[in-house]
Amino acid sequence: MNEIIAIIIAAVLSWINFVLIDTWMGLPEQPGVKGAEVIGRSVKRRGGDLAGGFFQGNIVCSPDASAGTLLASAACYTIGTPEGGLIAAILVYFGNRLCADPGYAGTTGALSITCIIFAASYIGIGPADFIVGMVLAIVTIQGLYHPFSSRLLGKIAKKMGRHTKLP
Amino acid sequence: MIIHANVLITILSYILAIISAIIVGLFLRMPILPERPMRYSFTISIVFPTSVLAIGFTAILFKLGHNGLLVAVVVGVLTAIFAKYFLESLLPKPQTEESS
Repeated sequence: MNEIIAIIIAAVLSWINFVLIDTWMGLPEQPGVKGAEVIGRSVKRRGGDLAGGFFQGNIVCSPDASAGTLLASAACYTIGTPEGGLIAAILVYFGNRLCADPGYAGTTGALSITCIIFAASYIGIGPADFIVGMVLAIVTIQGLYHPFSSRLLGKIAKKMGRHTKLP
Repeated sequence: MIIHANVLITILSYILAIISAIIVGLFLRMPILPERPMRYSFTISIVFPTSVLAIGFTAILFKLGHNGLLVAVVVGVLTAIFAKYFLESLLPKPQTEESS
């Protein structure tokens, strides 16, 4: 498959994987640590959504499904599929617990992207494409324009019943 | 799509690691699932994180060159014992809520 198309497909799959899992696991509902709350409130002051801001703050402050997706892709590239993804899942779990996080989002993200990489390898999309794709996916959330991305994340959180109840 | 016999044995090994961890976890009277809402629970249960740790440790041993169904079963048993008696002290729950 053409490399550019493979990276675009991998980026879309990675984006859907980590945003849905992180939202499902309640990242927009409340900040896990104080740093996440500071980021969320700051994003809201700049015209963003508070739930989306908490989401962005939480993925900065602990390894959630975004980190799980990226680490599992890198581990599948270096160690092999699926062993790399499974090893990444336990490393993400230990990292989560060290960051005062129960670890559900990170390990679920790592395991689900391992399954996706395994399935995508049959249509010519490899773990290297997923590493680049995940970097692009996280740039759309954290690197371009926080108010817009937080409002989008807030809408997704509302649809999934995970919007924050905090004022 | 062709699935080779060694792939099937590898998949069977991971399943065996999970099953042996579940059986030993039940013997050790670990909770099957964390209490609700699960996404905020730090309780160490059979499904999470014991099963995830079991397949992760099995994958590490496989990559170090120790293959086989027996290895997977032993790893499952040891992981359940580790999760029950040592994981809580190694990675304790946060003592206080940091956010207000």
